[in-house]
Amino acid sequence: MNELEPKLPVRRIYRWDLDKTYLQTDFDTFRQLVRTAFQKAHEKKAIPGAAALIRELRASGDSRLCIVSGSPTQMRTVLTEKLKLDGVEFDELVLKDNLRNLVRGRFKAMRGQVGYKLPVLLESRARAPVEAEEVLFGDDAEADAFIYSLYADMVAHRVSEPVVHRVLEAAEVYSDDIERVIKQWKEIPQADPVRRIFINLDRLTPPAAFAHYGARVVPIFNYFQAALVLLGDKHLTAPQVLRVMIELVQTSGYNLLTLSNSFQDLLRRGLPIAGVAEALLEALQGPAAVFQMVRPVPDIIAAFSKRVVALGAQPPPPKHRDIDYLSLLDDARPRTHKKRR
Amino acid sequence: MSQRPVTIAFDVMGGDHGPLEIVRGAAQLTLDTPHIHALLVGDRALIDQALSQVKHHAERVAVHHAADFVGMHEKPNAALESKPDCSVMVAARLVREGEADAMVSAGNTGAGVLACARNFSLIPGVRRAALATVYPTAVGRGEKNDPFSLILDVGATVDASADDLVAFAIMGSAYARIISKNEHPTVALLSNGTEAQKGPARVVEANQKLQHIAGLRFIGNVEGVDIPKGTADVVVCDGFVGNVCLKMLEGVSETVIELARYAYKEKLLWRAGLAMLSSGIERIKEVTDWEQYGGAPILGFDRLFIKAHGRSKSRAITNAGKVAARAVSKDLANAIQGMLPKA
Repeated sequence: MNELEPKLPVRRIYRWDLDKTYLQTDFDTFRQLVRTAFQKAHEKKAIPGAAALIRELRASGDSRLCIVSGSPTQMRTVLTEKLKLDGVEFDELVLKDNLRNLVRGRFKAMRGQVGYKLPVLLESRARAPVEAEEVLFGDDAEADAFIYSLYADMVAHRVSEPVVHRVLEAAEVYSDDIERVIKQWKEIPQADPVRRIFINLDRLTPPAAFAHYGARVVPIFNYFQAALVLLGDKHLTAPQVLRVMIELVQTSGYNLLTLSNSFQDLLRRGLPIAGVAEALLEALQGPAAVFQMVRPVPDIIAAFSKRVVALGAQPPPPKHRDIDYLSLLDDARPRTHKKRR
Repeated sequence: MSQRPVTIAFDVMGGDHGPLEIVRGAAQLTLDTPHIHALLVGDRALIDQALSQVKHHAERVAVHHAADFVGMHEKPNAALESKPDCSVMVAARLVREGEADAMVSAGNTGAGVLACARNFSLIPGVRRAALATVYPTAVGRGEKNDPFSLILDVGATVDASADDLVAFAIMGSAYARIISKNEHPTVALLSNGTEAQKGPARVVEANQKLQHIAGLRFIGNVEGVDIPKGTADVVVCDGFVGNVCLKMLEGVSETVIELARYAYKEKLLWRAGLAMLSSGIERIKEVTDWEQYGGAPILGFDRLFIKAHGRSKSRAITNAGKVAARAVSKDLANAIQGMLPKA
């Protein structure tokens, strides 16, 4: 964006994790971890559609992109370069200062995600306009669904202080850090900004595993699904969704079958996207030259319509229930400390 | 090079273990093989529930709702008449319409065959379809050293003519070549003697004709005793003989197991003997595990139907899907048609 242009007031904040949410990262073994640490910017690969989705979300000029990653601060240069290569402009990039944790002997903090991400999110929220709504993106590798949901409910004051205390204790957060989080939380004006929490299913965790977090958390198999939901939520327009789709088709081998299956998967899970097919149809029939490459239009519409018809009657959406964080404490623990399931 | 996508329709409502086991098998298929897509046909609510609990790749899964299903003990014809939108019928219809390339069902065999007959066309030159099955044998064959031979027909066409038997031989040979990766499978007719003139007139006539089929490795007649020996890779008979034969072989296996159980209880020495043999028995069980084969194909139609065993668990369903996809990728119907004698 041109720096001389007056900036629009921030209406929306998109918060992204990096590894396994934006970047295709393997660090399940020590070897992979080392390889990831020494990768150059051009060697790092973004997850298909992620960059296109971010670019479209940023296009209106009234949003903010805040990235919080567990990657070490030493990787700032290479990560910044990678995002620049992908045409992604960010407003905040917070990385984990594990060297500081090491020097202070805070080994639990090196492993933990809750004690690191929650304060960062709260701090960022404190700087945001009260009316700005948020959409969060994480993955199924660590505790993103738990942390993001807790953050949303803390800002909305839907969770009590004793519960937050117990969660932070279970997540092995140091007591002085717990006090800091609570203090920070109390300073944030009450609001209910979090609209959606997208969880990229990097490990293909069954979606039902996230049912405890309610309808706000949407597990996704690809970023076309996120784009469809965001079209339903009016964060994106149909042409913008089509541009994400085109990137997936052109760069990652997506086709009518995989796209229409992704669409039907969301319908089966009760996401309110039935109307988006019509919006996509209108956009496809428009004059934009860029959509010529995804024609013939009738094939696309037929594929999506078939998937809708094939399902028969839509079941009622699940009833809203408050999240019982105490029953989900295991999700908050560092991965190495989780109970075997 | 990436393979062309293949979609397999699964009749989710068939089978002794219920929809979850079928969904699990199909879900595993989407994880194992990127080019295979699963089209799950059945009660949408049950499928959704099962699918939400298992690891799967949603980009490779679609669901088609079918409100009815045919029970294992229902009469096929009457069931399909009264339930035209039952899962097996809808799955076959979707294959006919090109929404899927082949079908897998662990449900009522008769209903499956009938659903195929009502929706698929016979390959030009084939008058009757055949139900094939695999049987464990003493010798292995093909690239994968498969310890199974293929027997057909085991029940689809009770009264087969000489020409039908010739077609069955060609279909069995093509299937063994493609699925067992056995480049030149041996084919034999099941009869009451190895001599060419032995057996009923249709078998004698078929024997004569098979000797002149180009590209077919016909080795003549075999007797019942040759089936477990594995003398031929493909054993051809009519549906009546095949079914009697198959049931008898199953009965013998069950009796052997019963005898072993009896021996185990009866004498300490016999028990010790069985214990010493246990690792060998386990190995035999492993190599002859029918679940690795997935199911039995219905051959003769332009589209493929793999009939999985009623008691199939997810592993057998996954393998049935892989077998079906392989047959589609290798264009089994065309391979059969190419070998049939020109009219």
